[in-house]
Amino acid sequence: MKPKENFPQRLDVSLLVKRILPLGLLCLTWLAVSADEFTDPAAPTLTLTNVSSAQKRITFTPFPSADVFTMLSVTNLGGAWATNGGGAFSNLTWTGSAGASNTFYRLQVTPLASNALLTATALNRLGYGPTPDLLDRLLQNSGTNSAAAWITEQLAPETITERAVLAHTNIAYIQGRFGTPSNALVSSSAVTTGIGTTATSDLQSWLVLDGVFADRQLLEVLTQFIENHLVTYAGKSANFFIGIGFRDATPNRAPCEFEWREVSRWRNVLLNPTGTFYDLLKISAESPAMLIYLDTYASKGSAGNTPNENYSRELMELFTMGVDNGYDQSDITNMAPAWTGWTVELVNETNWNNPFAAKTTIKINGASGAYTNLYGVWTLNYKSNNHANSAKTIYGGKYVPARFGAPYTNKLYGANVTPGLYQLTIPSRTGTNGMTDGYDIIAHLADLPFTQEYLSVKLCRLFVHDNFSTGYDYTDPNLGAEGQLVKACMAAWEGSSPKGQLRPVLATIFNSSLFRSHGGNAQKVKTPLEFCVSAVRALRQSTNGTGLHGSWASYTDGYGLTLSSGGAQTAGKASPLMRIGSMNLFNRDAPDGYPEAATSWVDAGGLVERARFISSLLKATGQTGKNDDNSFLNNNITLPVKLLQIRLPNAADQTNATKVADTFLPLLFPGEGRASLDAYRTVAVNSLNTDDTGTNSSPFASLTVSSTGGSTYDTRVRGMLTTLMSLQRFQEQ
Amino acid sequence: MPYINTITRRQFLRNSLRAGAGLGIAALCRVPPFACRALAEGNIGLNGKKLLFIFLRGANDALNSCLPVKDTAFTSTLRPNIWIPQDVPSYYDTLGACEFPTGLASTFAHTNALRVGNGFAGLHPSLKFLAPAYNAGELLMIHRVGYPNQSRSHFDSQAYWESGEPNSASREGIFYRTLVESGVLAANPIAGVSIQSALPTIFKGSGAALTNISDPTRYDLLGTPTPNADNKLSNAILNANQAQFANKRSRELLQLSYQNLSSTLDLFATINFDETGNTFADDVATDIGAAHYNLFPTTNAKNGDGTTAGYVVDTGAYSFFEQLKAAALILNNTDAVIAGTEMGGFDTHDNQGGITGDHANLQSRIGWAMYALRKYFQLNANKVSWNNLVVVTLTEFGRTSAQNGNAGTDHAEAGLMWVAGGGVKGYGKAGRTSGVLNCGTSDSIPWTVGPSGSMFGVAGRYLQRTTDYRSVLGEVIREHLGATQNQLNSIIPGYADSGEHLQSAGVSSVDSTQVTGEVDVV
Repeated sequence: MKPKENFPQRLDVSLLVKRILPLGLLCLTWLAVSADEFTDPAAPTLTLTNVSSAQKRITFTPFPSADVFTMLSVTNLGGAWATNGGGAFSNLTWTGSAGASNTFYRLQVTPLASNALLTATALNRLGYGPTPDLLDRLLQNSGTNSAAAWITEQLAPETITERAVLAHTNIAYIQGRFGTPSNALVSSSAVTTGIGTTATSDLQSWLVLDGVFADRQLLEVLTQFIENHLVTYAGKSANFFIGIGFRDATPNRAPCEFEWREVSRWRNVLLNPTGTFYDLLKISAESPAMLIYLDTYASKGSAGNTPNENYSRELMELFTMGVDNGYDQSDITNMAPAWTGWTVELVNETNWNNPFAAKTTIKINGASGAYTNLYGVWTLNYKSNNHANSAKTIYGGKYVPARFGAPYTNKLYGANVTPGLYQLTIPSRTGTNGMTDGYDIIAHLADLPFTQEYLSVKLCRLFVHDNFSTGYDYTDPNLGAEGQLVKACMAAWEGSSPKGQLRPVLATIFNSSLFRSHGGNAQKVKTPLEFCVSAVRALRQSTNGTGLHGSWASYTDGYGLTLSSGGAQTAGKASPLMRIGSMNLFNRDAPDGYPEAATSWVDAGGLVERARFISSLLKATGQTGKNDDNSFLNNNITLPVKLLQIRLPNAADQTNATKVADTFLPLLFPGEGRASLDAYRTVAVNSLNTDDTGTNSSPFASLTVSSTGGSTYDTRVRGMLTTLMSLQRFQEQ
Repeated sequence: MPYINTITRRQFLRNSLRAGAGLGIAALCRVPPFACRALAEGNIGLNGKKLLFIFLRGANDALNSCLPVKDTAFTSTLRPNIWIPQDVPSYYDTLGACEFPTGLASTFAHTNALRVGNGFAGLHPSLKFLAPAYNAGELLMIHRVGYPNQSRSHFDSQAYWESGEPNSASREGIFYRTLVESGVLAANPIAGVSIQSALPTIFKGSGAALTNISDPTRYDLLGTPTPNADNKLSNAILNANQAQFANKRSRELLQLSYQNLSSTLDLFATINFDETGNTFADDVATDIGAAHYNLFPTTNAKNGDGTTAGYVVDTGAYSFFEQLKAAALILNNTDAVIAGTEMGGFDTHDNQGGITGDHANLQSRIGWAMYALRKYFQLNANKVSWNNLVVVTLTEFGRTSAQNGNAGTDHAEAGLMWVAGGGVKGYGKAGRTSGVLNCGTSDSIPWTVGPSGSMFGVAGRYLQRTTDYRSVLGEVIREHLGATQNQLNSIIPGYADSGEHLQSAGVSSVDSTQVTGEVDVV
């Protein structure tokens, strides 16, 4: 699909404040400007008041991403409109000069340039928020240094040189300790270095570090999306090991290995230009974490047992088709026997990739033969004795609903010979052949229009806005913009070969009017993860240009966002992500994953914790309250004056409150435009000119510039940033 | 045209809330009380009555809470690994009070299903602390609760319970509507408060932001950046809330929530939510020994008599009791009308446990929560007394009658609600000889026994519903909180459809199931 550039260019909103009577009694006229999310926003409404009979004041309603407001006037409608230099704008008010003669007025809005707006949208959605250096690069709007070029680049992450590992030493340190599927579990807590010694808390830290520093931003966003969509719960894996008597480091390390195994395999798919949803789903189905999480590991279909329905239900409801979208309880009941026999086992290292291997017999040196003393790899294992061998029919007699339209209703699904029938018939299978049942199911599910629809909807919610749903009538000639985009995503899914590739679907979204148009900007609220990572990134510029560890104006060691000071995620001492919204990465207990919608995250308690995190982040090292009851918060560092000195090098400017505010405002709110930010500029300037009490005036201009933590100047700048980053607009992406 | 007034007033309130959002909280607070009164009918928020809710997330296994011990099909074959042993069948025939075994070697040493005293049902022994409230006639156990065309999806079914609109796409909360209908929100920014990780659907709506607090001890700002700059930051946020921006999808929600934040930040400052404030104790020797137990077990030392044998809840329960305590303190010390929290972990597909184990632990929390709330409000009544409070539990559905292959239970249909409070019509009140509804042979829709009985009434597998959850909540909202029937028809739209039989007994027009209508809970 051809990218559309639907941003309004300079918009002469052509609003006439028309003088009718010489006394200044005026009526307002506005020319119709079509207003929908794809094209131009509605023009502001103007209201005229008299300050005095000879001084006019015009107030007007907001306009999105307005860069410049200009008031034009003309005394005679036949004449040429000219800028009225006599008045002044303040927020959404223009006040004319006193004693001006009666004139006609016209407000002109220059919106943010389309590349600038797309830069803001892209960095916030395809990535974890803008950084100063990325803004500098993309705003050049030339060659590869533009928003559109960056999007193209992000869609092919394998072509991007990843430098994150240089930016913080923790990344290499943690990565070097992740386990591999073929290495035996390191169950002894006496061993703390080397492969296989990470716990889930390390994985959490690694994920946020990558979010802060990675060049492959979209890869990071998609990693978290898939991890959250095909969600598992490391804590349940830990309970599994405790339950069967494995102690020492096993309950900490094996769950992390399981999660990492999923993540690293998913990333390989995402780095593959033709990676499909089936590939991702297969990794999830084979993951020990999933087998334990949704109880498949213990589900038996052999005589006298009722198979556990948990995985079958969530596989359809949450991972593929979407709730009540093409299946019912009978399909869950009919599918559950197919998954029986899929379990996990401790096998010899050489058997790490053999699901039919027997339990290992190798013992830890000098130990007895008890299960818990065995040494090896925990992996997917198929136990044919537990399997229900009988034939199975799922979706018996079910047809693709008419709302999907052609080609879906007249397509042949699987082995069916009737168009639109998506019945899945599994023959009776014995022995290890029974394992094929599961693979048949995921291959079938990955091809169904319901799955295409639900995954497209979830991606649109992630990248566009919250209000997409399944169930559109794609044959409706009046199908709305959201339905049309989902339909286009499904067509991209269906049209790729092999089918179900993610990149064509993503490209469809990023090239859509909904994403690129004016209305695409700032429609979403950041999740706690996005909020915390974006806050660090907002001020993250290398202070010497090297991008090397230790050179950043803002950084975290990762643990500062994810770790509680008690080790476990306990109340009171919890991590910022936990405090803001109980976002315990890799440890979501409910299988629906962390929500994407704003309504799930925005409430007073969460907003207080967001503001507290910002306060802590912006405090200088050693300032009271920096740790906020969790010493790991000391590892989130900001040096805003260093950043300021790079971007505003003239010393005289550094005590100019307006210039300082205008240095930071475009970094924090790049999608808003200078004119739209007028009110926030006032807040920032007031903050700089007020002492800590919040009431006593203390001119910023008379402070001595200093980047030393605790100095009045440094504290004042930090206070201003704390305020701006605690406000509503910083919650948005 | 009976709805004209309701709709107009409701619309007016919503509009005025929206307008308030644009004008700032000062405007919100300045709505004169008489104006609110003139606008609102009914007594919600005025009659001193309050509500506390606890959502049991994951679907509580009702058949392991209130056990149909006299059902001939309820045998250990049905649930071999999670079976609760019983006394001889005749033991459960005796009518009267609920058994309350105390003074045992350890709190939950009793190993058989307790006798409830209705001649049919038993109680899981981990729920023994329900007995005092039950025997005082202040606790009802309502079995076989559900709704037509029951969803077995957690997420859908929780949403239906919370919205009060089964099988609807609406995600507007039933208690949100209760408070919007009441008109109290205009003058009372903390009329509804939840204490959990995020605002639950039950409190969500587009016209007003209700308050959720994840940790009340931290409901305060941290300064900008020196600690004494709290005011600088809160004033700046308040001022910046006035800034106007072009509308975007989430901006109304953000605006309302920031207003709610600004207006509630100081309201809780006078309540001590810290551990130092957790000094509420029983007035009598509670169980083992002579100790008066702490009501809110938030540490090992405050759990029962402080010894392992004397624990009244499992040690994983403390964060729940922190939240429950906060909800109780807020109801008792502020003008909040509805407060609540949640407890997770009920999705017991795997190793559910029997007399002990995961589900037993969760149930011990329910039992003790009811015991503690009753004592707390009886002994410490300030803005609300036990007689003016109703506590309800909600859970999305029940679980399969038969266990699965993992010694757990899967998603099913009807579940169980507990309703407690000084004004609740329980055992010995209103002519009742039992505080168990729908789990006996003398109920208006008796429990049918055997392999084709109530336990298998839907699809041959699931417990069939008898009472709609909306009939229970609806009665509480009208008879207790003081809504008019007119208001209730808006709060729970199903009430406006007589075919649903939410108020009076009949056959549901939705799925042709015989239902009780309201069951006279309060």
